[in-house]
Amino acid sequence: MSTMNSGGMSAGGGSSRGGRSWPSTTSVSSSGKRIQKEMADLNMDPPSDCSAGPKGDNLYHWVATIIGPPGTPYQGGIFFLDITFPSDYPFNPPKKSGLQVVFKTRIYHCNVDSTGTVSLDILKDGWSPALTISKVLLAVRSIFTTPDQCNPVIPGISRLYLADRAKHDELAAEWTLRFAR
Amino acid sequence: MLTNEPNPEKSPPKEPEASENGEKIESMFSPGFRSVAAMAGWDEEAILVASLVVEDTPDRDFKQKKRSDLPSKTPPSNSRRKRRAQKRSPVLVAMPVLDLGEDETSTKENTNTDEQKKAESEKKMIESKTNTNEEKKAESEKKMIESKTNNGEEKKTGEKELTASSSTLPCMDRLREELSCAICLEICFEPSTTACGHSFCKKCLRSAAEKCGKRCPKCRQLISNGRSCTVNTVLWNTIQLLFPQEIEARKATAKASNSRETDHKSPPPPRGISHYNVRNRSIQALNSPEDERIQSTRRVGNTYHEGRNHIVGPPGIASRGDEVNVRRRRRRVPGQDEDAALALRLQREEFMEVFRGSDDQYNGSVSLARENLRAMASRAMNIRIRGRPS
Repeated sequence: MSTMNSGGMSAGGGSSRGGRSWPSTTSVSSSGKRIQKEMADLNMDPPSDCSAGPKGDNLYHWVATIIGPPGTPYQGGIFFLDITFPSDYPFNPPKKSGLQVVFKTRIYHCNVDSTGTVSLDILKDGWSPALTISKVLLAVRSIFTTPDQCNPVIPGISRLYLADRAKHDELAAEWTLRFAR
Repeated sequence: MLTNEPNPEKSPPKEPEASENGEKIESMFSPGFRSVAAMAGWDEEAILVASLVVEDTPDRDFKQKKRSDLPSKTPPSNSRRKRRAQKRSPVLVAMPVLDLGEDETSTKENTNTDEQKKAESEKKMIESKTNTNEEKKAESEKKMIESKTNNGEEKKTGEKELTASSSTLPCMDRLREELSCAICLEICFEPSTTACGHSFCKKCLRSAAEKCGKRCPKCRQLISNGRSCTVNTVLWNTIQLLFPQEIEARKATAKASNSRETDHKSPPPPRGISHYNVRNRSIQALNSPEDERIQSTRRVGNTYHEGRNHIVGPPGIASRGDEVNVRRRRRRVPGQDEDAALALRLQREEFMEVFRGSDDQYNGSVSLARENLRAMASRAMNIRIRGRPS
């Protein structure tokens, strides 16, 4: 596991405040409020095969898990993700990097690059402030079953998926077995 | 202004006016009326003659009535404003409460009377069987139907009362979900509805349009900025009725943040200065700021609509909660009859003010006009007497 290199990005200038590197939860900004609300909603009604919550005290840095859906080569794997919220969440500017979702567990997938960063349309240009973490997790889970072939970050895997599905699935299952259990 | 401060000398000048009707006729013509009459081609003599000929016009009756009404309604109170408040308060503030009580009692009475009616109708049915009186039958049937419909209405009102009183409905969670903004995930505050039919907080929608492009956050359809700024009033009122506590809390926080923001900026301009005419402004300059406020309320109170806003108390003191309460109360007020009555009363008071000549600076011109009219009246009388065939 790598260190939290991305954690400092969203934290802004908060590091001067008593050693903590995040906006204090006592000053309820609109983004903090919304994240707290999402947390409560996730605890109340978690999406299937998913879980998410703040990593530590930092409200803007979450860890999530997705269980590989059955019927896919990722079946049985438990995939950990790091989620980093921008400071003006949920109003992520479309051009800048907004919500960051990074696989901490290695995965063989055409939409996940070598650093684990998920490339999803809804995390970039397709972002909408009406989206929530629970919806994002569902979207990530959906690319397990149907990889997005239109804009893959690893074209080799995509090509293999289209040309030889069985081979692709075999490789993915092998990676899952090796890294995700 | 005379009317603002408590002055016990104010009531005496009214009474001589009421008693001396002869003089009253002469002072009846305000400069404004005279100018209008002149524009219509009436010279002052003609007006005077007309008023002498038609001595007992309904207008004067009306005025006299009003004069006799006023003292009885308003026992020796000092300021005009107080009097108004007294007059208004029973109508607009206490009415809704009375209404509710009356409703309840009346419904109860209705049930009683309905039962009685039923019993009667049943009796009549029996009678009709024996007597074979078809008219009676028809009547009783009508009554039966009436009582049934009444019962139905009562049930409905009962349900309404239940929904109003108990905030814990079985579908409350779903309602909360449905009425919450997708952006801040809280209950929509001042909801604004897009052209595609999705509602968000006005603020949320605006910042979403600013930062994420002018597309609906829910369905990504293009939205125009101008439309997104209007509040969906029906939805907003519904939300306020359903979740009063949440809205109060959010209003309080919004107020606090707003005040924090405005503290750094320049102080807000004095309210409603544009309403005053030049005369009032000059008087205000002489008065203290407190008087200004009173004056503004009095002044504003003259116009009907704004007058309603000052029911609860002096402006600025009333909290936001009070405003909401007033709004709710106002919604329950039966409406047109009350409104019409208030409008009429205000109009009358305005008339009174005009005819009383309460302003000091008018007194000189009024006395001058009085002199003129007196002279003209005597001349007219002379002409009449001379013109009459003896």
